[in-house]
Amino acid sequence: MSQKSAKVIAKDIRNFFGPPGGQKAKHKSSRPAESTDQAPSDRMDVDHEDDIPPRRASGIKRRQDSLSSEDDDVVEVKPPPMKKKAIARASPKPQKSTTATYKSSDDDDAKPLPTKKIVASKPRKSTAMTSKLKDTDDYEDSPDIELISKPSKTTTKPSAKPSAKPSAKPPAKQEDSGDPPKKKPNWYAMKAAKLAGPSAPGSKQVPEPASEDCLAGLCFVFTGELSSFARDEAIEIAKRFGGRVVGQPSSKTDYIVLGDNAGPSKLAAIKKHKLKCLSEDEFLDLIATRKGPGNGKGYDEKTKKKMEKEQADIKKAAKEIEAREKEAQKTGSSSKFGSSSNNPNIENQLWTTRYAPQTLKEICGNKGQVEKLQQWLTDWPTSLKSGFKKPGKNGMNIFRAVLITGPPGIGKTTSAHLCAKLAGFTPIELNASDARSKKLVENGMNINNKSLDGYLANSVDGHSATNSAGVAITDRSCLVMDEVDGMSAGDRGGVGAMNALIKKTKIPIICIANDKGAQKLKPLQYTTFSLSFRKPDAAAVRSRILTIAYKEKMKVPANVVDQLVQGAQSDIRQVINMLSTWKRSSDTMDFDEGKSLVKMNEKYAILTPFDVTQKMLGPYLFSNTARETLGDKMELYFHDHSFTPLFIQENYLKTQPARVRSLQGPEQILKHLDLMDRAASSISDGDLVDALIHGPEQHWSLMPLHAVCSAVRPASFLYGQGAGYGGPNAMSFPQWLGQNSKQNKLNRQLTDVQVRMRLKVSGDKSEIRQSYLPALFPHIVRPLIDDGSAAVDEVIERMDEYYLSKEDWDTVVELGVDQNKDDLVLKKIPAAAKTAFTKKYNAAEHPIPFHKAFDLGKVPKKLAASGPAPDIEDAFDLDDEVAEASDDEKEDKSDDITKDKLVKVAKKKKSAAASNGGKGRGKKAAS
Amino acid sequence: MSLWVDQYRPRSLDDLHYHQGLSARLRSLAASGDFPHMLFYGPSGAGKKTRIACTLKELFGPGVEKIKIDQRIFLTPSKRKLEVNLVQSNFHIEITPSETGNYDRIVIQELLKEIAQTQQVDLNAKQRFKVVIINEADSLSRDAQAALRRTMEKYMSNMRIILCANSTSRLIAPIRSRCLLMRVAAPDSDAMSTVLDYVARRVGFDLPPDVADQIVEDAAGNMRKALLVLEALKMQSPDLSGNLSIAKPDWETYCHKVADLIVQEQTPARVMEVRAKFYELLSHCIPPTVILKTVAERVVERVDEALKADIMHWAAFYEVRMRVGSKKIFHLEAWVVKVMSLYKQFFYGMDLTGFD
Repeated sequence: MSQKSAKVIAKDIRNFFGPPGGQKAKHKSSRPAESTDQAPSDRMDVDHEDDIPPRRASGIKRRQDSLSSEDDDVVEVKPPPMKKKAIARASPKPQKSTTATYKSSDDDDAKPLPTKKIVASKPRKSTAMTSKLKDTDDYEDSPDIELISKPSKTTTKPSAKPSAKPSAKPPAKQEDSGDPPKKKPNWYAMKAAKLAGPSAPGSKQVPEPASEDCLAGLCFVFTGELSSFARDEAIEIAKRFGGRVVGQPSSKTDYIVLGDNAGPSKLAAIKKHKLKCLSEDEFLDLIATRKGPGNGKGYDEKTKKKMEKEQADIKKAAKEIEAREKEAQKTGSSSKFGSSSNNPNIENQLWTTRYAPQTLKEICGNKGQVEKLQQWLTDWPTSLKSGFKKPGKNGMNIFRAVLITGPPGIGKTTSAHLCAKLAGFTPIELNASDARSKKLVENGMNINNKSLDGYLANSVDGHSATNSAGVAITDRSCLVMDEVDGMSAGDRGGVGAMNALIKKTKIPIICIANDKGAQKLKPLQYTTFSLSFRKPDAAAVRSRILTIAYKEKMKVPANVVDQLVQGAQSDIRQVINMLSTWKRSSDTMDFDEGKSLVKMNEKYAILTPFDVTQKMLGPYLFSNTARETLGDKMELYFHDHSFTPLFIQENYLKTQPARVRSLQGPEQILKHLDLMDRAASSISDGDLVDALIHGPEQHWSLMPLHAVCSAVRPASFLYGQGAGYGGPNAMSFPQWLGQNSKQNKLNRQLTDVQVRMRLKVSGDKSEIRQSYLPALFPHIVRPLIDDGSAAVDEVIERMDEYYLSKEDWDTVVELGVDQNKDDLVLKKIPAAAKTAFTKKYNAAEHPIPFHKAFDLGKVPKKLAASGPAPDIEDAFDLDDEVAEASDDEKEDKSDDITKDKLVKVAKKKKSAAASNGGKGRGKKAAS
Repeated sequence: MSLWVDQYRPRSLDDLHYHQGLSARLRSLAASGDFPHMLFYGPSGAGKKTRIACTLKELFGPGVEKIKIDQRIFLTPSKRKLEVNLVQSNFHIEITPSETGNYDRIVIQELLKEIAQTQQVDLNAKQRFKVVIINEADSLSRDAQAALRRTMEKYMSNMRIILCANSTSRLIAPIRSRCLLMRVAAPDSDAMSTVLDYVARRVGFDLPPDVADQIVEDAAGNMRKALLVLEALKMQSPDLSGNLSIAKPDWETYCHKVADLIVQEQTPARVMEVRAKFYELLSHCIPPTVILKTVAERVVERVDEALKADIMHWAAFYEVRMRVGSKKIFHLEAWVVKVMSLYKQFFYGMDLTGFD
């Protein structure tokens, strides 16, 4: 048995350490084993498709080599419930087949993956063979895949028979509509449905909608796991057809689409509001049957009015812009000479400048913040007069400056400028393109009003005077310090000078930054009023974007705009830029085009390890309907490759695995333990890979493997609720870091103890810890517990015998575990004994075995004062090497010096004598 | 007052109580004048260092007993300071390069060359060479061992090296072939009883044979442990009568608690509890292999016969991984989970066959 398992291990290891080229060989060698021991071990009632996979796998395998480097995807395959039942039935004798199950389960992982890989990467909604060619186009090596897909097709077809649904529905609708993503077959779902057995509905297709906006005006909530669509997909479908999707059900929700394992709070809400529930099928039916409101008919009165009003608003706004532009054009042309270069033709301007808000009304979102800013600027003259004593309505008027923070592209700078202008100030902007060092900030602005230069110049030649930054100076200026967090190395002292400036400024200062918590902005925290701008939600931005689109004569439906805004994370600037680029090629944009545009302009955000862990161990990443490829999952690890493995290790046991949800009783427990075992051993593998990466040879190329072993694979076993998903166990920061540094620290201390004891003891460090410390404990610690201060002399004597200092005593206590744990021990020692011990120890001289290297060359402070040095030289040395008078004060300096002055002389002598006596006895014993 | 184990440590080859053959060989080697490099290996508590000290005394006379400790600072190429403690007499020097972790190669290179390049100046010295004792040789890194091998040949005229290790398995073959291997086996129980009796007589009391047996059994070949236990027992009950129970060291009882936790319950929460305890042990400087061994032995005691082989197999499996890998706790935990899984499978297996 052990031999057999050893073989498994060997295979396991090869699995991880084999050279990349060895993959193929491995697969070939492992296949026969699979097919032989698979069947007997745990597939008691094999359904007829089960004997197909090996063949299918091998067929694919041959063409798969190019892809095989990714084949660790293994993990996601959810074992069918059927099989679980089989295990349950087989469980009477598992102890005999422990290794067999181990093995087979391993192979279980390995086997279905090739098919799965292909299946997974296939676009999902086409069923017909004809569409296959097209489907595979987006796949890198399509000729190969095309070949492959045929065998897999033939094998999957018969298996799909029991659930006849998929084949029944589609044929009518598949040929029309050349919309590829809509029409592809859901291979994942078919697989999932197949795995789930006949009870689950078959794979589903999004039916041909009755009309494009068939869900318009409806509000959906999705909860639980649908059987064939991932949550994201279902939401996308709803949005595509004009529906609105919200997170939490309320009385305004029209439908709730219920999947398995719906959240209890949502179920409660359903009951409370008596909401209509839909199953996945009903939801699809709704799409197929519900007639959309079309052009206005079908909506109820309220929505119709609302929509009309929206339209009207948009048109009005567009007109306003047009009028304004015309105006600008006129003034531009009237003052043609000179300023034409400053005012280029409005058609040539970037959209972002062209459609920058001109009135407060046009600013999207953050209304409250903008109003506050406006109020503050309006109140400025009065608050200046009152010396910034009256807080005012918002409590802002005691501040001379405001710090606006928020993510990029939401109109911070725009708002600042606009508010300043509207309040009658001339904004002077300094941004990261200007040097803003201390000197420049102090002098350049002439804000200190040290010179009348600007005003005089103004009166002399009639031109508006400018300061060194090239900005006109008026009596009402407002300084806008943009990108304050960008004050970097070149702007030495910039923030400090800013802060000094703020403290005495006579003009309003508006600072703008992205990150509120940045270390650099600490000084500004107390001198500025902090206004944080939030990302406006899609609704707030929508009408503005629609207006622009209308103005530009683009046809962009509202749901596409929402998608763009959401995809750009509410970065209005980016959305406008995206639209302006799109306008170059096309005037319309539909849902899928919008989606791809968003994808193209995706911002890459680094996730924190907490987010990564939550995502990995969460219930969705590995669920049957998830669409993430192995690459996507590995990508998560690379967000923070040093912390992610630690986080996974810390938290992988805190989930309630989705894989055991359908099981009960012993099967569930066994399966859970089995999954834990596999995850833990994978983490152990990961550590071996880590050792190779960070070892002397630094195989950094193994990092993808490390990603799989240390994060993806363990998570694939134990993903599920919990660990940050509302389970009983909250996600926690890895203990490893703290424990490791504690270990290092104690290890260093133990080394010190060992070196000191070395003159008496031959043992090495671990011997000291394991044998001597427990043996010394009753001699140097327990007496203090039992006898209190009476035992102090005895303890000190014993410590001197082994050259232990007071710090070493602390180490000895600190190193204890269990009943000798330091907290417990220290609690038991009476305070009086402790102080007596410390006092007495510090009062006396103690033998030291050697000087610390860094102590050499220093003159011992106490040497002269302490009288005759204790006679300890001859205790162990005849030569010139002398264990000199104790200089322990070097180690606990302050402590000792104070003691020196306070401790009474008489006491000192006594204990010195005692230690001498101890020495003498020790000497006798030694010789 | 020193502990007995240190107080009554033998100081010359003649005082040694067991392995007389080995002592005789060492004596003749020391006398021959052609003293080779040596590698002492054997379990801890067998008396390797004591024997080395005795051999040195035989070589150089009582002068080697005057030892002092020095601290030296080495600079790594990256300008990091390494502190190394040297224990030395006029005739020998003792280092523990593993103190510096990965930088042990630097210590070996610099220190050995320095010693090797200076000749013995004391004309009264019995031998022309100095002896370098390298402790914990089995935890020397590969680089350090490679650095050692040429030095051992090149500077033979000025220096002899004595390596001290627990096992030879982690020393590279070239080093082993350059040394005379000296296996210091753990003493058998008779030898141990003799030593215990001797110490008891020196202290001045009679040791009942049954107590001696008990101690010997508990110590499992570790002489140091036996003597420490003897002293602890004597402290506990001065007349050494009645029902004596040998107190286990703190870490051992703690390990046993961990083992009990594993056997009592097999749930994720329990694994995390065990993990916390493992962290505690590791951070308090108990080597991971010792933890695994102690816990595994205890678990094996408490489970059914059918599981024992498997549990030990996996313990060995993860012990190897622990040595190769860097984060020990991962492997310890993997073993715990494996054991729990096996245990539960066995448990339910039993249950269901009974009722089915």
